Amino acid sequence: MLACLLILHEANYGYALLEVLEQHGFTVDANTLYPLLRRLEKQGLLISDWNTDESRPRKFYRTSPEGTALAQTLTEDWDSLHSAFRSLKGQS
Amino acid sequence: MTTLTDRYVDATLRRLPANQRPDIERELRSSIADAVDDRIGAGDDAESAESTVLTGLGDPAKLAASYSNQPLHLIGPELFTDYIRILKTLLTTVVPIVAVVVAFVQIAEEANFGKILGSTIGAGMTTAVNIVAWLTVVFAVVERTGARWTPTRQWTPADLPALPTRRARYGELIAESVATVVFSVFILLSPSLGVETDGVRNQALDPWLWDTGVVYAFVALLVAALAFSFARHYSGVRVPVEIIGGLVRIAPSAMLIWLAATDHVLNPALIQALAVPEDAVRWTGVGIMIGAALTLIFTVIDSIRRVSRRG
Repeated sequence: MLACLLILHEANYGYALLEVLEQHGFTVDANTLYPLLRRLEKQGLLISDWNTDESRPRKFYRTSPEGTALAQTLTEDWDSLHSAFRSLKGQS
Repeated sequence: MTTLTDRYVDATLRRLPANQRPDIERELRSSIADAVDDRIGAGDDAESAESTVLTGLGDPAKLAASYSNQPLHLIGPELFTDYIRILKTLLTTVVPIVAVVVAFVQIAEEANFGKILGSTIGAGMTTAVNIVAWLTVVFAVVERTGARWTPTRQWTPADLPALPTRRARYGELIAESVATVVFSVFILLSPSLGVETDGVRNQALDPWLWDTGVVYAFVALLVAALAFSFARHYSGVRVPVEIIGGLVRIAPSAMLIWLAATDHVLNPALIQALAVPEDAVRWTGVGIMIGAALTLIFTVIDSIRRVSRRG
C-alpha cells in the first residue's frame, strides 16, 4: 500500500502501475492491485480521473494530500522498524 | 471485445452493487485490454493472450469479493468464541431436555420401547440440527451487518473454571462403581432371594424382566453409565462425549420409569401371594417413577454443570 502511495505522486493508471511496481521490485497480482486502488480512493488517499485522450479511456490515480500525509507517517514507521531490526541483528 | 472478456466482466459485475458497476466495468475492461495488448506485443496470439490474462486475474467471484470488501467467512474471529460457547451450552441443555420430554410423552401414550427409542433419538437429533443451523444463521447475520457484538460481560480471571481435586473425583468414581456393582448384583440375584409365602417361593421382581431379557439390558445400561464415568474421569470433559454420556446416564432412569408405567417391576405373583391391596401397588409404581424422574433430572443438571464449569 505504501508503495502505491509513494509511486502515485505521479499520476498513473492500473495496468501501467503494475509494471512500475514490478520494476521497483514489488511483485503484485492484478487482482490484488485493482481492488486496492479502489479502496484507497474510497478512503480518500487517492484521487482518480478518467482520461479520455487516447482511444481507450483509462482511469488515472494520483496521491491525494491525505495520502501524502499518510505516506509520510508510514515511511517513518517503516524506518523505525528497519532500525529496530538492524539493532537486533547487531546484537545477535 | 471478444466473448471471453465479456463473460468474465459480466461474472464479476454480477456480484457487485449496481452503483459501482459502470466504473468498475470501464476500468476492468481497459486493464484487461492493456494486458492483452502487452502479451500480443510479446508474441502471443489474441486468444491465448486473453486466456492467460483472465486466468491471471483469477476467479471472478474472488475478484468481486475483494472489490466489495465482503468477508469471505461465515463467522469471523471476533464472534467465533462466543458462538462456540453459546452453541455448546444450548446443545448440552436443550437436547437432553427435549429427548426426555419426548420420551415421557411416548411413555404416556404407552408406545412400545422401540418407538420410544426411535422418537427420542429422532427428536434429539432434529433439535440439535435446528440449534446449530439457527445459531449459525444468527451469527452470520450479525457478522455481516457489522452490529457491534458486546459480550454480556468482560472476561476476568475470576471466570476461570476451578480444577476439582483429583482425589475427590476419584472417590466419587469408586463410590459409583461400588453402587453400580452392588445394585446390579442385587438385581441379577434377586430371583434366588424370593419371599416365601404359603410354601411358594416368589421372587420380588417381575419374571417378565428375565423372560424378555430386559433386566440384562437394564444392567448393561448401568454398566455403560459406569464406563462413561470412567471415560470422563480419565479423559476430561468433552462436549460430544458429554452429550452421549448424558443420554446413557439418563437411559436407566427412563427405562425404570417405563417399566413402572407398564407394571413390569414387581412380580405380580408375589403381589397376589402377599395380598397387597391394589392401591399400594399403584402407589409403589408411582413412587418408583417419581424417584427415577428425580434421578433423571439430577443427572441432566449435573451434566450441564460439568460442561458449564469447564467453560
